[in-house]
Amino acid sequence: MGGLFLALEQSGLGAAMRESSFLYPLANVLHIVGLVCFAGAIAIMDARLMGAFEALPLRSFVSRWRKVAMAAFAVQIVSGFMLFSAEASAIIDNPVFQLKLLLIAIGLGNVVVFELVTKPGIAGWQGGQPPMIAKISGAVSLLAWIAVAAAGRLIAYF
Amino acid sequence: MALKTRFALVAAAAALIGAAPVLAHHGWGSYDAAKPLTITGPIKHSTYQYPHVHVMIDHEGNTWEITLAPPSRMEARRAVLAVVKEGNVMAAYGYASTARPHEMRAERITVDGKTYEMR
Repeated sequence: MGGLFLALEQSGLGAAMRESSFLYPLANVLHIVGLVCFAGAIAIMDARLMGAFEALPLRSFVSRWRKVAMAAFAVQIVSGFMLFSAEASAIIDNPVFQLKLLLIAIGLGNVVVFELVTKPGIAGWQGGQPPMIAKISGAVSLLAWIAVAAAGRLIAYF
Repeated sequence: MALKTRFALVAAAAALIGAAPVLAHHGWGSYDAAKPLTITGPIKHSTYQYPHVHVMIDHEGNTWEITLAPPSRMEARRAVLAVVKEGNVMAAYGYASTARPHEMRAERITVDGKTYEMR
């Protein structure tokens, strides 16, 4: 397993990230811009689940903003992989990076729970006070993704 | 939507935005800024790479790893590759790491009578 990350670090991509005059700053900028777009899309969906913008239909609201979130997530995966490749063998051992991976898994797991449990459970919700499972789903998502962002920023300090 | 929920969302958003500038500049937390030191010697090895340029210098029987600025900032300050190449004598003024022995973060470096600021 360790050899895999060393191989990534020693790959053409890893070397290019360390040696190119613009790739590392570019990936850094993409990663923060991607975060802003991702957090915005996530927060607005979570706010809807927790009772905001109740006049707007939930289903179309979520499907619209999920497209933005997924596009931004793709930017995060690509730019994050670029940054990771520069120092992969060291960063994989970083405790905050490991925590970040766990938090991402929780955030994505929450999407699966939303699709399988929450969505069918709140199908009859017509507005007004949101059902408890909708509030929980929104709160878990918001907290998980804020924690992912915080952990990401803290990798450099540990 | 309840006023309380709305307040909580605004507070969460404010925390998210507010946290960024506080954490935006990293690197000085685990360095002992109270005890600056100068490490001087010929550069044994240098890696001019992102995210930070590093040089190795022998000093009083130990090999010190000196962490410098990112390559883009090094070049902006004219501390180009030729300035920190192997064999050049460098004086690095900065702070020792509190986490790793014989690692230091340079505030400024002097090579061949010229001083380059790393911040």
